[in-house]
Amino acid sequence: MLRQSYPRVLDKAEACLEEIEKLLVECTDGDYKDNSTSLDCLRDIKMTSKDISQQLAGSHPQRRDVATGGEWRQRTQEQWRGQGKVLVRGTEEDEQGKGIVPLGTCQTMCPTRELRDREAQNRLHRFEILAGTEKDRRPRGDPLHAVKEYSRPAAGKDLTNSTDLRPPAVLLKTVCYLIDDIAASPTLHPCSETNCFVFDRMRGVKQDMIIQRVSGLDCVAILERTVRFLIYASYHLCGEPLGLYDPIINDTHLQENLSWLLDCYATGLGPHPNQEEFQALGLLYNLGSARATQHIMALPAKLRSTPSIRLALSINRAHLERNPVRLLRLAQRLNFLQCCALHRHLVTCRRDLLLIFSHAYSSRNCWFPLDTLAQLLSLDTSLTTQLCETYGMEVNHDNKVVFSKAGFTEPEQGKLYCQVYHSLVGEKQRDLTVGSIIHGCA
Amino acid sequence: MAHITINQYLQQVYEAIDNHEGSFCAELLSFKHPHVANPRLQLASPEEKCQQVLEPPYDEMVAAHLRCTYAVANHDFVEAYKFQTLVVQSFLRAFQSHKEENWALPVMFAVTLDLRIFANNAEQQLQKKGKAQPSEMLEKAAEQLMSCFRVCASDNRAGIEDSKKWGMMFLSNQLFKIYFKINKLHLCKPLIRAIDSSNLKNDYSPAQKVTYKYYVGRKAMFDSDFKLAEEFLSYAFHHCHRSSQKNKRMILIYLLPVKMLLGHMPTHQLLRKYDLMQFADVTKAVSEGNLLLLNEGLSKHETFFIRCGIFLILEKLKIITYRNLFKKVYLLLRTHQLPLDSFLVALRMMQLEDVDIDEVQCILANLIYMGHIKGYISHQHQKLVVSKQNPFPPLSSIS
Repeated sequence: MLRQSYPRVLDKAEACLEEIEKLLVECTDGDYKDNSTSLDCLRDIKMTSKDISQQLAGSHPQRRDVATGGEWRQRTQEQWRGQGKVLVRGTEEDEQGKGIVPLGTCQTMCPTRELRDREAQNRLHRFEILAGTEKDRRPRGDPLHAVKEYSRPAAGKDLTNSTDLRPPAVLLKTVCYLIDDIAASPTLHPCSETNCFVFDRMRGVKQDMIIQRVSGLDCVAILERTVRFLIYASYHLCGEPLGLYDPIINDTHLQENLSWLLDCYATGLGPHPNQEEFQALGLLYNLGSARATQHIMALPAKLRSTPSIRLALSINRAHLERNPVRLLRLAQRLNFLQCCALHRHLVTCRRDLLLIFSHAYSSRNCWFPLDTLAQLLSLDTSLTTQLCETYGMEVNHDNKVVFSKAGFTEPEQGKLYCQVYHSLVGEKQRDLTVGSIIHGCA
Repeated sequence: MAHITINQYLQQVYEAIDNHEGSFCAELLSFKHPHVANPRLQLASPEEKCQQVLEPPYDEMVAAHLRCTYAVANHDFVEAYKFQTLVVQSFLRAFQSHKEENWALPVMFAVTLDLRIFANNAEQQLQKKGKAQPSEMLEKAAEQLMSCFRVCASDNRAGIEDSKKWGMMFLSNQLFKIYFKINKLHLCKPLIRAIDSSNLKNDYSPAQKVTYKYYVGRKAMFDSDFKLAEEFLSYAFHHCHRSSQKNKRMILIYLLPVKMLLGHMPTHQLLRKYDLMQFADVTKAVSEGNLLLLNEGLSKHETFFIRCGIFLILEKLKIITYRNLFKKVYLLLRTHQLPLDSFLVALRMMQLEDVDIDEVQCILANLIYMGHIKGYISHQHQKLVVSKQNPFPPLSSIS
C-alpha cells in the first residue's frame, strides 16, 4: 500500500515545487522593490511547503474542493503542456543531431529490460507475477501481464531508447488489456487497487505517446478510453481515502488528457465518430467554466446542434443562470458516463438550491413541503432531511422545511459526504459493465 | 531615403547607434518604414557588409533585419519570422549591456512589434499549407517578448528617467494580444501584477494605457468581475483618441454587455454611430423584458457574438430580462401579493413551453437572492409577496 501511495505524494511534491518555481519567476517579473508582491510570493511558498510536508506525513486533511481547485488545475495543466514540450523539444534536438524521431520497437506491454530489472528489484505488482511463483522469494514476472510503469523524467535518464518505447498499436493493445483484464476484471479486488494500477500504467502509455509524438487515430482511441476511465473513476472512487484515490490528481490527468483529445479533434484528420460524446463530456465535466463554454461555442454549428451537446449546453446554461431545479431535471436525461462527468458539480448545485431557497422562502409562518423539495433535489426524503440539516435548515415533525436566510450555514470541511448523495448517478449504472463503459459501447 | 545603397544605410544605422538616437534607429529597423521596400537592401547574405561597419551584436541584428526584408519581399513569413527572432535576440544582448540608459526603447518597440506580426503571418501561412501546430509560432514569439519583459522589469538600478521599465507596458500589451489570440488568458496575471506594483503605472503614454486597460478590462470580464471590467473599459473608451473609431468600436463591443449587465442600456444613436446594430435587438429585449426577442437577437447574430467571445456574457442578460418581465407583471397586477401562476403565464407568453411552476419558483428565488426583487415566496399560498417600498430596486444599485 505504502509503495502505491508514495509516487502520488511525489506527484504532489513535484506539482508544488513547480508552483514555487512559477511563483519565483513571477516574482522576478515583478518589481523587486515592491515588498507586497514579494511578500505575497513568499507567503505562497510557505503555504506550499507546508502542503508538501503535510502530504509527506500522510496526514493531509480534506483538500481544496472543486471550486477553489480551479486555478490550481489550470496551472498544472499548463505545466504539463510545458513538460510535454520539453520532451518534444528534446526529440527535436535529436532530430537535428541524429536525424531520427524516437520510434518504439518494443512489441510487448513491458520492455524486456524493465521486466528484468523489476524482477530483480522485487518491484512487480501482484497483477504482473507469473502464476505459481507468487510464494517464491523472488517472484517471476509474467511477460503477458506485466505493463511498463510510469517513470518520472529525471536528469541523465534516457527516455528515448526505442527498445523501451512501444509503438502506437502496442500502446492501444496495452490500454485495452488494462481495461478488459484489470479494470473490468470480476476477480481482481479491491477496485481502488486496480484503479491505482491502471492509472499508473495509463500514465506510462501517455508518456510513451508524448515521447514519440504520436498522433492520429490510435492516439485518439487511446485518449478516448483514458478519459472515460478517469471520468468513471472520478465518480466511483469518490469518497475513498486520499491514499487510495486523490480527486485532485485524477482531475489534473483528466484535464490533460481531455484537452489533448480536443486538440486532436481540432487538428487531426478524421473521422472522429466519438467527437460529439467527448465534447459533451468535456463541457459537463467543466460546467460553468468560461473556457470550456467558449470552446463549445466555437465549434461548427452542425456539431453544436447534435443532441448530446445541446443537452450539455442547456445544462450549462441552467448552471450559469443559477437554476438548479432545471439543471437537476435536465440531468435526469443524461446517460451514465455523462452523469459521472457532471457528478462533481452536484454538491454545489444542491447547495445553490438550498441557498437561494433559504433567502426566498425566509419568512415567519412559511414552510416548504419536504417531499417537494426532495423531488427538486432528486433525493429521497431522508437524504433531503440530512442535507437540509447539514446546511442549517430545520425540518420539523410534519415534514415541513423551514427556510431561514440567517440559518443557512456552510457545512464544515469534511462534514459533507458526496458519495452519500450518489443516487442520481448510481441509478443509471444499472447493469452496465465497466468494460462497456470505458470502451464506450454503453 | 527609399533608394539608398547598402553602405549609406549601414552608415546611418551606425550613426544612429553611436549618437543614441533611439527613434531614428527604430525607424531603420522597422517594417513600417519605407526602406524595407528598397530592393538594394533586400540581401540574402548581408553579414559580411554589416560586420565591416557595425560592432557586434549590432552587426548580427542588422544583418538579420536585412535578410528579413529579403524574406518578406519573397512573401515567406516563416523565414521572416525566423530572422526577426534573431533580430530580437541580438537586440536584447545589446540592450542588456546598456547600463543605466534606455535610449534603445523605441528600437525594442519596433522589433518586438514586427516579431508578433510576423509570427501571426507565419502561422497563417503554415495553416494554409496544413502543417501548423496551432499557435506554436505565437507561443514562441511570446517567449521572446517575455525575455524582453524580464530585462525591462528587472532594471532597478537606473533612475526613473533612464529606466528600462518604461518598456513594460508596451510589452505587456503585445503579450496580451498574443495570449488573447491563443486563448491563454491566465498568463496575463503575472504581467498585470508586475504593472500594478510598478510606480510608473500612471505615467505611461495615453495610447499604451488605453490598450492596457482594454485588455485588463476584457480579462476582468472573462473572470466575471464586471465592476472592474466596466471601470477599465470605460477608461479605455473615454481616453481613446477620437479619430480611432475602429478602436472605440472594439472597446464598445465589450463595454456594452458589461454596462447592460449593470443596468445601463446603450442608445440607438450610439449603436448606429459605431455600426453595432447587432446589439439593437438584445438591448431592446432586455429593457422590455422580452425573452423571446432576446433569444431571437442572440441567435440572429450568434456568429458575431461568438467570434467576439461575448456570447456567454450576453446570455447572462437573461437574468435581467426575467427581472424586467416580472416587474411588468407586478406593474400590471398592482398588488403586493402576486400569484405565482401569473409569472408562469408571462413565461409561456414568451414561448418558454417547458417551464413549470417549480422552475418559476426557482427563477424568482434566484432573483430574490441576488437582490433584484425585494420580497419572499409563500409556498402555501403560491404567491410572491413583494416589499411595499421599491420591490424592484434599480439595477445600478445592486452589486
